[in-house]
Amino acid sequence: MVNLTRILMARHPSTVYNDSYWKKRQIFKMSAHFYGRARNCWSIAIRRVQRALQYVVAGRKLRKMWYHDMWNNRISAGSRELGNIPEGSEVMIESLIRSQVLLNRQSLSNLAIWEPRTFKAINNIAAVKDRQDNVHPNRGMPPTGIKGKLP
Amino acid sequence: MSVNSLFTKSGYVTAPLANGVGRYIPQCLRMTIKFCKSHGGSRGVREFIENHLVEFARQNPGTVVYLKPRRHRSPVVVAEYLNEGREWMPLHDMPCEEIIKWLGVLRTSAGYGEMHYRSYQHTDTPSIQGPWTPFTHQPPEKNIMTFPNDACQDPPLLKPSATEIIKKMYQNQS
Repeated sequence: MVNLTRILMARHPSTVYNDSYWKKRQIFKMSAHFYGRARNCWSIAIRRVQRALQYVVAGRKLRKMWYHDMWNNRISAGSRELGNIPEGSEVMIESLIRSQVLLNRQSLSNLAIWEPRTFKAINNIAAVKDRQDNVHPNRGMPPTGIKGKLP
Repeated sequence: MSVNSLFTKSGYVTAPLANGVGRYIPQCLRMTIKFCKSHGGSRGVREFIENHLVEFARQNPGTVVYLKPRRHRSPVVVAEYLNEGREWMPLHDMPCEEIIKWLGVLRTSAGYGEMHYRSYQHTDTPSIQGPWTPFTHQPPEKNIMTFPNDACQDPPLLKPSATEIIKKMYQNQS
C-alpha cells in the first residue's frame, strides 16, 4: 500500500494505548542496514541491535587505541627510515618533549606523511637531544644480577 | 551509530561554492514562524516577536521572515535555503533567549541538514612540501649509480660481528 496514513492513525496512542508497533519501530530503524532476517524479523533484530549498541560503546575506547597505535607505527617508520634514531617513536617523542617541542602523535604522523622535510628537521632535533641527554631507555643501564663493584 | 548507517548522512565540512572565502552570501532564503496567539507553549515565540523580530529582520535583509498565527498549534519554525534544503524545528516551551540562538543557527546554516562529520577539518592541499615517497629521503647520487656497487652490498645499519670486535680489540691493545 502506498497511502499508510489512515492505517497508522489507527495505531495512534489516542486510539490504542498498548501498541508495541512504535517501540519495535525504534529497533527496526536501527537495524535497517543489517543483512538478511536481522533487518526485518523482531526476535533476531532485537538481539543484533543490542549487540551492535554494545559494540558502539566498546568501539569508542578501541578507536582511540587503534589511532594511537597507527600514529606510533607511522612515526616509527619515518624515524627509522631517516636512521638517526633506530629505536623508533618512543625515543623520538621523549627527546622532543625534553626539547620542549610539544607536538602530539597525530601532528607528527601527519608531518611524516605530508611534510617530510619538516619531519626530518624535527627528527634531527630529537636525535641531537637523544645523544646529549642519553634519552634512549636502555643506553647506559647495566644488566641486573651483578652485585658489588666490578674491578 | 555506525558510519555505514543508512539514516545518518556522513561527510566532510563544506561551504557551498566556497562561500566566505571571497564574499559571503547568507544561505537562508526565508523563515516561517508558526505560533499560537494564546497558548502557553508559544510564550517565548510571542516575546521574541514583540521584542526582537524587527531587529532580526533589519540585521538580515537577505532572509525573509513570515509569521503564521495558527490557533491551538505548537510553535514551529521552518527555514528554507538556496539549495532547496529545508529545516523544521519545534519552538514549543522555548524561552526567548534560546529561540534567538536557534534562529541564529538556522540563519547561518547552508541547508545540508544534520550530518555525521568524518573529520572537522578539510583541505584540498594537504601537502606543501610534497607528500612522502620512497625516494624523498634517498641521496640523489643513487640516480647515477652503476651496479654492482660495493657501497650497497651490506645492509645500512649492520653492526660489527664478534670476530671483527675481537680483531679491533687486539689491534687497539698493541
